[in-house]
Amino acid sequence: MAGSNEINANEAKKVVPLHTWILISNFKLAYNMLRRPDGTFNRELAEFLDRKVLANTVPVDGVYSFDVVDRATSLLNRIYRCAPRESESGRQLGAGIIELEKPLSSTEIVPVIIFFHGGSFTHSSANSAIYDTFCRRLAGLVHGVVVSVNYRRSPEHRFPSAYEDGWETLKWVHSRSWLLSGKDSKVHVYLAGDSSGGNIAHHVAHRAAVSGVEVLGNILLHPLFGGEERTESERKLDGKYFVKLQDRDWYWRAFLPEGETRDHPACNIFGPRGSSLEGLNFPKSLVVVAGLDLVQDWQLSYVEGLQRSGQDVKLLFLKKATIGFYFLPNNEHFYTLMEEMKNFIKSGVC
Amino acid sequence: MGPYDSSISPAAGSSNSSSSACSSSTKPPPPDQMDHLLAGAGYKVRSNELNQVAERLQHLETVMVKSLPVDISEMVNDAVYYNPTDLASWVDSLLTELNTNVTVPEPVPVNTDLSDLHEFPSGMNVYGSNHAPEMHGEFSQQAVTPLEEDVSIRLVHVLMTCAEAVQRGDLSLASLLIDDLQALLGRVNSGCGIGKVGSFFVDALSQRVVNSPENGVVQVELTAYENEILYHHYYEACPYLKFAHFTANQAILEAFDGQDCVHVIDFNLMQGLQWPALIQALALRPGGPPLLRLTGIGPPSNDGRDSLREIGLKLAELARSVNVRFAFRGVAASRLDDVKPWMLQVSPKEAVAVNSIMQLHKLLGPGPPIDLVLDWIRDLNPRILMVVEQESNHNQPEFLDRFTESLYYYSTMFDSLDACTAQPEKSLAELYIQREICNVVCCEGSARVERHEPLVRWRERLTSAGFAPLHLGSNAFKQARMLLTLFSAEGYSVEENEGCLTLGWHSRPLIAASAWQAIPKPSPATMGR
Repeated sequence: MAGSNEINANEAKKVVPLHTWILISNFKLAYNMLRRPDGTFNRELAEFLDRKVLANTVPVDGVYSFDVVDRATSLLNRIYRCAPRESESGRQLGAGIIELEKPLSSTEIVPVIIFFHGGSFTHSSANSAIYDTFCRRLAGLVHGVVVSVNYRRSPEHRFPSAYEDGWETLKWVHSRSWLLSGKDSKVHVYLAGDSSGGNIAHHVAHRAAVSGVEVLGNILLHPLFGGEERTESERKLDGKYFVKLQDRDWYWRAFLPEGETRDHPACNIFGPRGSSLEGLNFPKSLVVVAGLDLVQDWQLSYVEGLQRSGQDVKLLFLKKATIGFYFLPNNEHFYTLMEEMKNFIKSGVC
Repeated sequence: MGPYDSSISPAAGSSNSSSSACSSSTKPPPPDQMDHLLAGAGYKVRSNELNQVAERLQHLETVMVKSLPVDISEMVNDAVYYNPTDLASWVDSLLTELNTNVTVPEPVPVNTDLSDLHEFPSGMNVYGSNHAPEMHGEFSQQAVTPLEEDVSIRLVHVLMTCAEAVQRGDLSLASLLIDDLQALLGRVNSGCGIGKVGSFFVDALSQRVVNSPENGVVQVELTAYENEILYHHYYEACPYLKFAHFTANQAILEAFDGQDCVHVIDFNLMQGLQWPALIQALALRPGGPPLLRLTGIGPPSNDGRDSLREIGLKLAELARSVNVRFAFRGVAASRLDDVKPWMLQVSPKEAVAVNSIMQLHKLLGPGPPIDLVLDWIRDLNPRILMVVEQESNHNQPEFLDRFTESLYYYSTMFDSLDACTAQPEKSLAELYIQREICNVVCCEGSARVERHEPLVRWRERLTSAGFAPLHLGSNAFKQARMLLTLFSAEGYSVEENEGCLTLGWHSRPLIAASAWQAIPKPSPATMGR
């Protein structure tokens, strides 16, 4: 098999820039060491290896961040906000003071994006360097607020923990007076996530739709879906671009309730055990699919499923993109994504 | 250039440690600079090493593929890792570990001139990891009503405004604001959160305003006994001191490996709580224990007891019971810079460990004591200098900056204390912390000894003083995490930071532990070569 691995490494190297190849390969190899064949996870080493960064109330490139811990649940959210533009600043306060008594704006609409980081439900945290960097970009891009959720991870916390944490955060965000904006004075909430974060965003949006809680839009970046059946993309792309199918299987086994199959509704949204979204006030969705991601067939059927249910969905298919293309601003897919996300949010802001 | 560049707007006053990489530049960075793209992901790789690292990663994968997953997990369980930020050495250490006999394959030509894609000049600045106070986090609780939340926020604002007034010398405004603060305190729950820590800061501010705002106050000295009680309660109520002792002992044990005569110099013996564990670990070490000398430094007694000697006797008793040859010496000094190296009686045949738990920052006051002390430490040629310090900058020249930073630092610490419901009486532990707060806020000049500085500053200092880092690895990390399970609160977090370990509350590190070894000074005989 060694020979085919060299071929695969060469293929991946042809389609991603060097930095991206180094970054994603490093993750891949480290993650190989952390997953144990018996389904347990080496959490100690994972935390040791994860590169984390502090929140920073001093704006960097116009964005500052701070952490909020909910005492009742011990759930941590990292909040990213844009520093006030020169004209907006009133009283000059000392360094690090954040105006949390006032709404974001009483005239303009300021989007609040609840972001769920990826990591196949198992890896990374809200304060992981790669996600801190991404959320800062996102906040600056839409000139809004990003709330990054440090949800509980598997295998220590299986389904539905992450969804519950997402739901709690959605309710928390809606109840913050300092996140209000616009003449209608409400919190303008979007949900976003990459990989497992995209999966979480879908489920939180579903619950919101069923419960009548407003979500203005979903951004799903190569979201993690799956099923028992093996699709063509899974067969064709297995092991070719950083991801092996058996690894995907491991993460589902770690996340889903023990003994469950991948046709569980958490995983296979529109599969035999899924529920219909027809008639629900489900938010409009932007689904981004990387053309070299082996999960793409499941993501594409998700898009079709949304369409069949009469929901508003836009597909952004990036043919030559691999997973994680958005971590570094060194490829055209990155910039295409930024533009699409900006427009998606802006179009909800009238 | 991508469309994204239009939304980059450098904020006025942003202190970005990496000021290069303006979006319009197409000049490549100097080759031995750290790559800034990977830096944004938390990794340090030299730009001119990228290809090499890629090759090694590829080689690593080839080797890993040959091993069974179960073997890899086992190997990983037993292995110790260091400093994952340094990607090149990290990959190398993995390769070494996998004990590869596979010959390095022909280097695959790395194709950076891609047919479909091009490397875009990065439009992003690197976000310097600026050490800044954690904001708001401890003031927002779901258990608190929205009204209480508002009052908490206002409390913080008025505290800051008052501190600003103090800095400007506007005492009449400061006094008025202190009245406001007392009123606000009456409206929050003073039993926890901002109410409690806020009241300590209001007290400190009012002491400073009422007494001598420029010259600062002098804190009332406690008796040795009183100090010990407070210390002991702090030790029990939260894991910070235990983490410090634990991590230090691990590192010292490793540094003493294979040594027959070892000498530990403790810069603050206190009740010697750190040492029973080390004595026992040495007793159990394979090959038998060394001869252990312990020199404990502490303040001269002000209450007639010779506490240094008492502790020494107790430790000697313990050592005897586990068959460790042990000798103790107490050195009484009110300040560390009063200690002269000859008092420590270090013998050239011994392996020396210098143990400084929250002591070095006291030497950062006026004058050069820190440089002198670091110099004589280096002269002792220790195998290890263990440094544990508060992870915050309470030594900034501007009062308002110190005030702000300490407000958030101690709020976080108090929050962590509050969450430990299993530990009982906490008020004495809080008093211990309150004295620190008071020192930072009220004192000046040589009376202000709590001059905490963050790890990044200590690294600079120690490196220029002639010390090289000894990395703390994944085993120390793992054991620290196990220690934390003894504390009921779930928010404590241990993090690895370029070979050092920090312990914090949620995402905010509060204590940083680092280990160092002295780079021997060039001897006169070799300098002619």
